[in-house]
Amino acid sequence: MTDAVGRIVTLAVPAQRIVSLSPAGTELVFALGAGNRLVGRTTWCDYPPEARAVPSVGDGLSPNIEAVVARRPDLVLLYRSPLDQSAADHLSRLGIPAVVLEQDRLSQLGRAARLVGRLTGRDSAGDSLAAVLAGIVARPAPPAPVRLAFVVWDTPPVVIGGGSYLDELATLAGAVNVFHDLPGASASVALETIAVRDPDVIAMPRDSAGVDAGPPAFLRRPEWQVIRAVRERRVVYLVGSLFGRPTPRAELAIAELERLLKDAKP
Amino acid sequence: MDDELILDVADVSYRYPDAAGDALAGVSLAIRPGELHAVLGPNGSGKTTLLRVALGTLVPRVGRAAILGRPAAAWVPRDLARVAGVVTQREDNLFPQRVRDTVGLGRYARLPRWGPESAADHAAVDRALARCDVQHLASRWVWTLSGGEYQRVRLARALAQEPRLLVLDEPTANLDLRHEMQLFELVRALVERHYLAVLLVTHHVNLAARFADHVLLLAGGRPAGAGTPAAVLSPDAVAQVFDWPVAMTPFDGRPQLTPLRQRKDEP
Amino acid sequence: MKTLALGAVALLALLLAIVLGPAHVALADLATSDIVRSLRLPRAMLAFLVGGALALSGTGLQALVRNPLADPSLLGISGGAGLGAVVAIALHVTNPWTIPLAAFAGALGAMALVYRLGVMGRGGAGLDAATLLLAGVAVGAFAAAVTTAIVSLSDAAQLRNAQLWLWGGLSGASWQTVGLMCAYAPIPILALLASARSLDLLALGEEPARHLGVDVPPLKRRVYVAASLLTAAAVAVSGVIGFVGLVVPHAMRLLWGHRHRPLFPAAFVGGGALLALSDTAARVIVAPRELPVGIVTALVGVPVFVVLLRRWTTS
Repeated sequence: MTDAVGRIVTLAVPAQRIVSLSPAGTELVFALGAGNRLVGRTTWCDYPPEARAVPSVGDGLSPNIEAVVARRPDLVLLYRSPLDQSAADHLSRLGIPAVVLEQDRLSQLGRAARLVGRLTGRDSAGDSLAAVLAGIVARPAPPAPVRLAFVVWDTPPVVIGGGSYLDELATLAGAVNVFHDLPGASASVALETIAVRDPDVIAMPRDSAGVDAGPPAFLRRPEWQVIRAVRERRVVYLVGSLFGRPTPRAELAIAELERLLKDAKP
Repeated sequence: MDDELILDVADVSYRYPDAAGDALAGVSLAIRPGELHAVLGPNGSGKTTLLRVALGTLVPRVGRAAILGRPAAAWVPRDLARVAGVVTQREDNLFPQRVRDTVGLGRYARLPRWGPESAADHAAVDRALARCDVQHLASRWVWTLSGGEYQRVRLARALAQEPRLLVLDEPTANLDLRHEMQLFELVRALVERHYLAVLLVTHHVNLAARFADHVLLLAGGRPAGAGTPAAVLSPDAVAQVFDWPVAMTPFDGRPQLTPLRQRKDEP
Repeated sequence: MKTLALGAVALLALLLAIVLGPAHVALADLATSDIVRSLRLPRAMLAFLVGGALALSGTGLQALVRNPLADPSLLGISGGAGLGAVVAIALHVTNPWTIPLAAFAGALGAMALVYRLGVMGRGGAGLDAATLLLAGVAVGAFAAAVTTAIVSLSDAAQLRNAQLWLWGGLSGASWQTVGLMCAYAPIPILALLASARSLDLLALGEEPARHLGVDVPPLKRRVYVAASLLTAAAVAVSGVIGFVGLVVPHAMRLLWGHRHRPLFPAAFVGGGALLALSDTAARVIVAPRELPVGIVTALVGVPVFVVLLRRWTTS
């Protein structure tokens, strides 16, 4: 099997010492039942709670090769980004198998589950997870969608576009992202654009600390009141670890989003 | 006859910070209206320092400098500019200007803070241009002027201030003969016709001797002679100060210096 | 004649800013549209005020340091503001006023530091132009380095947010911010206008200016503080917007000459019009997305600057 960048990775025996350099990879390893074999994670890997017991090898954004090697892994899982790819090459040259995974959408997560399942000897767990995810993706979209906009920053306003996991979740939860037409994962737009596209609800991804802190103050600013959803206080908050990336808990994320939208809908 | 002292420098000494010796020691100068005083001396003799002390930029350690009876350092720049017009050795005009505009800058100290220029201001500029014989250059760009013309324009700017005292620091450096003579004649005319007081710093001994009423000879910051040109500029005094043998011959009632050859073995 | 033309350009710029935008608003609905009244109108006004402030500040600074290349960002103020903002972003502060306040505080800090360093040259003569420029570059570079360090340690989202803020944007415009600027700006603006004549004389050099009646040390202080305060407010409200403070004074000098009495107001109006037009372009060119306005001013400003350079070197 090949990884996301086309490398062929085979292991003679299932991996026993795994280092994961992305939160999605960490969660995947635990979901496949191989969590006890994880020997290194990034500082951002906070789910499941057991992951926190695993030593950290840095923030993973520009991987610390030394720290990774110090854990003596026989498999390293990386996220697909330019810095990680060169780290993967570096590790391969050092004789450590490195696998680059794409984990931006549910379909990609399925593939990743299958691959990691093979590499850890948990083939059946990987395949069944992949099947579940495929089933979710194949579901027909519910009718009468709620119009939704994901706002991640206020100065300037940044929204989530069509290429992202949140957009995918929105469709599966019976909503339509009003910025679905924007190709990239995120884009900065003018306030008036949000106002004119008139979403029914605004969803804001927050890290877990933020959810309890209440509505962010910028929503009270005068210029934001032009947006109907803000005026009518139809804003919902999404926990980062559940909604920030495709995870095996996708079903949970969809259900949670559905519930939030139902409560907030006009 | 107005006997009022415009500039009174009495027995001043000044030492620059971190300097080994005094730049000025025991120097005096007293200027009345209608008098042209020249300060002569080689480079480094303290001429520019004397100007700075006289205008209040530097405060002397010993002695005092007073303008119209008030200590020079106590004058606010705006008030001082209405009394003294200064033409410095060099100026570095960043921006292109027309002659009339640059002369107009001289009215600054007399303009109201916020108000516009008045007819009186324009008239003063016209008069200044006329007195310096540059009115025909009024709409020319300053950068197109010759060295001599530019100096006369700067003098016109100082005159636009309507000062009682004119201070000129080496005004003829880099000027050719014609422009040198024109400038000195112009300054002399201002003294005689308009009763200005003039303090002129130069190392041009002969022109100073021809045109000045009073000469102060400086050497190493100390006065080496003060009085009429004839009294001060003896061959011995000049040779001592300028460190070169000279002959002084009278011309038109004023001593004129001729430097002597030192090396006798060459023609 | 040229005054009328400049006024017309300014009005046109404001008009375009109100009429054009990524959201389609029919001409007939302009007066009643909420988008126009609450978003586009205050944004156009803020763009005008910020652009004017930057251009005015640039004109003053160029006269102060007697260097035509002076730009408000050259004196470290933008760097300090950027650092303040990035620190606030990195600390995940949610209060909407915190980032502008932090930016303003950073700008003031940089201004004070550069001033302190600037008076170190030449003893009692006050601010020394050359030292001021060097100090500004040093402080700006230091602030930029610390900013980059903080940004490199933050996660991807914060990095993007910090970058977007640094490149400038007027999205935070509301009648509130416009009101604040209108309350704050007149004092430094008046201080600069009051210095106009004195600055004409300063162009001859500090010594000749003094002999003509200008009290030079307080003049330099006044111009430095006023220009810095204007820049600090502009950057706090709208991020780092470059080239307006550098290019607009030169363009206006070509038409109005070097006397600061006519030049200051012309620069203000010209800078305001330029930024309003740039902001409209930023909103419209890649609609529905929006470009940071600092990028538009750079893209427009650099070719204009090259043209100006050629004029100087050939004249």
